[in-house]
Amino acid sequence: MDRLLLIALLLIPIATAVASFVARRRAVMELANLAGFAAVFVVAIALGAQVLDFKTVSIANGFFYADALSALVILLTASVALICATYSIGYLRSDEQSGELGDDATGKEQLALLRMYYTLTPLFVFSMLFMAVANNLGVMWAAMEATTLASIFLVTFYGKVNSLEAAWKYAMIGGVGLSMALFGTLVAYYAGHNLTGSAAISGLNWSVLAQHAAQLDKTSMRLAFVLILMGYGTKAGLVPMHTWKPDAYSQAPVPTAALLSTAMMNCALYGLIRFYILTSRCVGAQYPSRLLLLFGLLSMGIAIPFVLVQTHYRRLLAYSTIDHAGIMTTALGIGGILGSFGLMLHMTFHTLAKTLLFLGAGNIYQHFRTNQFADIKGGVLRAMPLTGVIFLLAMLAIVGVPPFGLFQSEFIILRAAFEGGHLFAGVLFVLFGVGVFVGLLLHVIGMVLGPRGDAPVAPPRPWRNGSMLALAIVLVVIGFWVPAPVFELIRNAAQVVSGQ
Amino acid sequence: MMHILDLQFGERIVTLMAALVLVLQIAMVAQRWIVLHIRIFAAQSFCLAMIAATIAWFNHAPHIYIAAALTLVVKVILVPILFERLMVKMEIHEEIEPFVNVPISVLIAGGLTLVGYVVAESFYKPDETGLGHNALAVAISLFLIGFFTMINRRKALTQVLALLSLENGLFLAAISLTYGMPLIVELGILFDVLVAAMVMGILVYRIRETFESMDVSLLRRLRG
Repeated sequence: MDRLLLIALLLIPIATAVASFVARRRAVMELANLAGFAAVFVVAIALGAQVLDFKTVSIANGFFYADALSALVILLTASVALICATYSIGYLRSDEQSGELGDDATGKEQLALLRMYYTLTPLFVFSMLFMAVANNLGVMWAAMEATTLASIFLVTFYGKVNSLEAAWKYAMIGGVGLSMALFGTLVAYYAGHNLTGSAAISGLNWSVLAQHAAQLDKTSMRLAFVLILMGYGTKAGLVPMHTWKPDAYSQAPVPTAALLSTAMMNCALYGLIRFYILTSRCVGAQYPSRLLLLFGLLSMGIAIPFVLVQTHYRRLLAYSTIDHAGIMTTALGIGGILGSFGLMLHMTFHTLAKTLLFLGAGNIYQHFRTNQFADIKGGVLRAMPLTGVIFLLAMLAIVGVPPFGLFQSEFIILRAAFEGGHLFAGVLFVLFGVGVFVGLLLHVIGMVLGPRGDAPVAPPRPWRNGSMLALAIVLVVIGFWVPAPVFELIRNAAQVVSGQ
Repeated sequence: MMHILDLQFGERIVTLMAALVLVLQIAMVAQRWIVLHIRIFAAQSFCLAMIAATIAWFNHAPHIYIAAALTLVVKVILVPILFERLMVKMEIHEEIEPFVNVPISVLIAGGLTLVGYVVAESFYKPDETGLGHNALAVAISLFLIGFFTMINRRKALTQVLALLSLENGLFLAAISLTYGMPLIVELGILFDVLVAAMVMGILVYRIRETFESMDVSLLRRLRG
């Protein structure tokens, strides 16, 4: 049973991609994606349950390996993928009608674009899932690189001048970052290769290295961690390697942007966490912790001015994601069981809230056809009531207003900071948090509330609003009540991170 | 016949090849034509495959032969053919136009080589005997010069080539530090390199079509 789960998890997205690639009609592609991601979601839940029972699941001599940390990342990825697949149906149909996909009267051009979207999205999700179940750190790297390659053409989906520029930056900055991550992986392999024998495949297996972490070569592990922090930090969007993010998020189709800013960021952080565990077991937690705090707080701080002066609401969301990458990196740096618990909780809540924000931004963009706050001039709430309410709710959630979950997770991280003696980091954390809070709310309240202006009332959009409503209910409920198995999974993941 | 099995002889071959790789990297910094850039990259990759094969021979490690053969197929044959075709299709005849002029670029590349040697020293353990210790310094230099070349180029295609030569540095580092990564990892990396070359090739083509130039310094509309 457990063997089947991991294999199914990887095979279903591939099958979905193949089905969409050979399909001749839009409806078939939509159905394939919807069914495929629903199946992946079910498998992810089953895998979570399995991991709760057995702690770890591994097959093929440990080539594929899942513990609570991987299961949580997989569950989050699968949830976002399912929501985005539902949303995409309405979103892309609307794009097709309004001529965003080209004006070919026979519809062939549009169909080719849709085929690309519905084929690359499952491949993108596949590479993220593969990354989370790969035990071998080298294979994990290859999967991370594959996420970039699968998503480049999703960023250029609209084929505009700006989207090409965004994709180019994404490809180049991502490529350089990942080459550093590969170097780091290589150095980690060197740190352990005397232990395990160089020809053995298992020499790069995380589970093997974690067991022998204390015997790894310390100097090499230090170097490896710096390189990995720069490398996977680029994919996670830590300052100063964040510059591709606002461009890619604002040019990609909205469901892709949601996947990039939640699922892919989680995966990048996941890679970083795996190396953090190895490094802290090898050289002690202090060394990686200092570096993580530095980059985490830097990201939180640098995000503030960009949030404050932003005129483009999707770029605003990107800077908010950079801020949250900083929060999670800081939480990892604070460490300990409490810090790790805050990190895992935050990852869960952020994934839900940020996805919702991007989907809301998609609705607003498709209705108003502008990316600028200034051109909307308020009134989202009156022109499109449901989207307006949900967007505002999600924004309150993302800045950490109680009773939403992000308040709890940020509070836990803060408590961990003070209890762990990171006074300075804790104070900065609060200050930067307030800065972003003010910036985001000012912009969004101005956009959502206020008189309607001359914008028409939006027509009903069942796919888009249905998926948003479902996610919004989850987001609100989870602020009050996290289901016991999910809570247990988060707690176990935190135990994996902190090693306690 | 004796010296075929002599480790010191192997060490010399590897060092010689590694020196050649470094010379080619600096030549890449110095030359002005994109076609030459592609061919130098192919030659460099060929030297790397030879280094890998030499190490496989002297260490009796058959899995490195496979890595060498794959490098030969992907980086010496497929990627250069792909890029040369792309150039024909895009009808590029222009020169490279680096930001920093050639003499200073070469000087900087020389400086980075020194840095590479200093960094590699810290990995050197006197009790460890084996092939390819000198190669590590070259590998780190390749990595650094690759970075510099990426920053120093305006043309999209040459940036991709610089990224690939940076990856060559990593391959050499893997060979000299640990006699290569496990085969499955090498497979994954080479597959990614091939796909990346194709994806970026298409992207370069589309940039060229849209901007009627490959000059990436034109790509500066998205800010803030």
